[in-house]
Amino acid sequence: MKKTASKKIKTPVSTVIGRVIIYFILGLLAFLTLYPFWHVIMYSISASEAAMEGGLFFFPRKPTLAAYSLLARNKLIFTTYKNSIIRTVVGTCINLIMTASIAYPLSVKRFIGRNFWTMVIFFTMLFSGGMIPTYLLVKELGLLNSMWALILPGSISAYNMFIMRNFFQSIPPSLEESANIDGATPPRILVSIIMPLSKPVFAALALFYGIAHWNSYIDCVLYIDDLSKQVLQVYLRSMINVTAFGQVGEAADRAAIAGTGMSEETMKMAAISASVIPIIIIYPWLQKYYVKGVLIGSIKG
Amino acid sequence: MTVSNNLQVSGGNKSGTRINKLIAVIKKKLRIMRRDYLLYLLALPGICYFLLFKYVPMYGITIAFRDYNIFKGLAASPFVGFKIFEKLFNLPAFNRALVNTIIISFGKIIFGFPAPIILSLMINEVVNTKYKKFVQTSVLLPSFISWVVIAGIMYVLFSPNSGVIKGVASFFGYTGRITDIMGNKSSFRYVIVISDIWKNMGMGTIVYLAAISGIDQQLYEAAIIDGAGKWRQMWHVTLASLRPTIVILLIMRVGGILNAGFDQIFTLYNPLVYEVSEIIDTYVYKIGILQHNFSIATAAGLFKSVIGLVMVLLTNAISKKIDENSGLI
Repeated sequence: MKKTASKKIKTPVSTVIGRVIIYFILGLLAFLTLYPFWHVIMYSISASEAAMEGGLFFFPRKPTLAAYSLLARNKLIFTTYKNSIIRTVVGTCINLIMTASIAYPLSVKRFIGRNFWTMVIFFTMLFSGGMIPTYLLVKELGLLNSMWALILPGSISAYNMFIMRNFFQSIPPSLEESANIDGATPPRILVSIIMPLSKPVFAALALFYGIAHWNSYIDCVLYIDDLSKQVLQVYLRSMINVTAFGQVGEAADRAAIAGTGMSEETMKMAAISASVIPIIIIYPWLQKYYVKGVLIGSIKG
Repeated sequence: MTVSNNLQVSGGNKSGTRINKLIAVIKKKLRIMRRDYLLYLLALPGICYFLLFKYVPMYGITIAFRDYNIFKGLAASPFVGFKIFEKLFNLPAFNRALVNTIIISFGKIIFGFPAPIILSLMINEVVNTKYKKFVQTSVLLPSFISWVVIAGIMYVLFSPNSGVIKGVASFFGYTGRITDIMGNKSSFRYVIVISDIWKNMGMGTIVYLAAISGIDQQLYEAAIIDGAGKWRQMWHVTLASLRPTIVILLIMRVGGILNAGFDQIFTLYNPLVYEVSEIIDTYVYKIGILQHNFSIATAAGLFKSVIGLVMVLLTNAISKKIDENSGLI
């Protein structure tokens, strides 16, 4: 609509200048957000001694995949990668099942105690016990050093639950009521009536939960000690820390790098790229659904 | 369910009529609930989750008022009142963490909160749809990347030995020393605030751009007829229409004033800059998880939670005073 308007009416010079400035600033911002990722990927496929000179990398210098072949020999990165995938998939499934099973009753008017439980859940968004009591609880439950410690304590996000409940409430209640009168049980109604109508909100929450699981870091540091049960983020962190500020990384990593003529920086960049490239590949799809999801949440919530 | 029901009835017969009525109501409700028990069964796991993982830790807050001993357990540890808080507020390390939290958080609100609004206004001015899409897509990318990865990228980019700054400087003939901005007390807080804006700006624009696209075009036409230029349209139409959205997001942001970004700082900071970047969360982690000082750490965490709650209620009340319809609660 705007486009036709600007064609019909001659745009004043000041507007044109303003537009040029805005286009330039936005272009610069886009460059500033994209370049670091490009830099890392280019760095990881450059020969170490050439990369050490620093500066901007628009193209790889003396391209080589040596860092990746060294990385492929590292068993831990595969283990932690696998753990991250398991955590994300299992965690997200549990998230969705748990969230839907509480969001649906709370969206039904005849549910006795609906307001009470809504308030109980809402309050958890305003106030929390904090890190230490939660840690001690997880410890008491005997979940330390198991995948469940990463999945169960966050199995429902109150915020996401409300997004889903609000979506359920936007479905005409007559549908649910008539199914109920016809004798369909609540789980049946949820699965065969509510869920098919709520695909967008399930997709959105699957993304929210999934991304949170994949990127989650602190809880893994808190609850998991055993490196073979650790997730990718923590392992990446330990790799990145190999030389940063004298902190000690994994001895095995340093031993593997020593004697190959490859700098630790290049190794780190390869590891970072290995974790970022899959995300970048699915990113166009990811962002499309993510944007939709945020809008479902913000308009109805 | 039947047993408890009978008990209540037999207890009620001995008491007055009001209690009898109440019991009749409860009985009726229980009957309805029993007929619909699957609905309640469905809600049970979720309710149990919130009670177990959210309310039990809230009870665990009492650790902050007890001389907690991990071997004795919570119940057997003696109550000491506010002694632990007194001790906490006298700890220089905690006070430093509190000050750092507030400074960093304020920096993030003052510079970070308007950033997506300004960016949205600029993106909205772009006529070319492809360019618009490109900019939107690019600025959103960092939101999907974890702080661990971003911290790793930043260490390399800003490395004084092989980073971008060094390369660019030497290109221009500068061969002197390059400051390590990641390990420098005077620059590290800027690094935190700017990297936070860099990562989260795109996410913020989603909501604002949607709100902008929902503005009635007639408002702009009316403004143009009234002689409003671009700036005045932006101020009186766009920003005025965005106000409810801005208020709600600001309440939520101010409520989290003591959330200075645990993940971010935990992954970015290093011993050289602890002094300017130790925040309450990282302090709680160090004191509680690493040093097993559970009482002090819980007290620090509780202080943070309480301030958060107070801030939300306060900002909510203020925004309601200004505008009845605004606000979160």
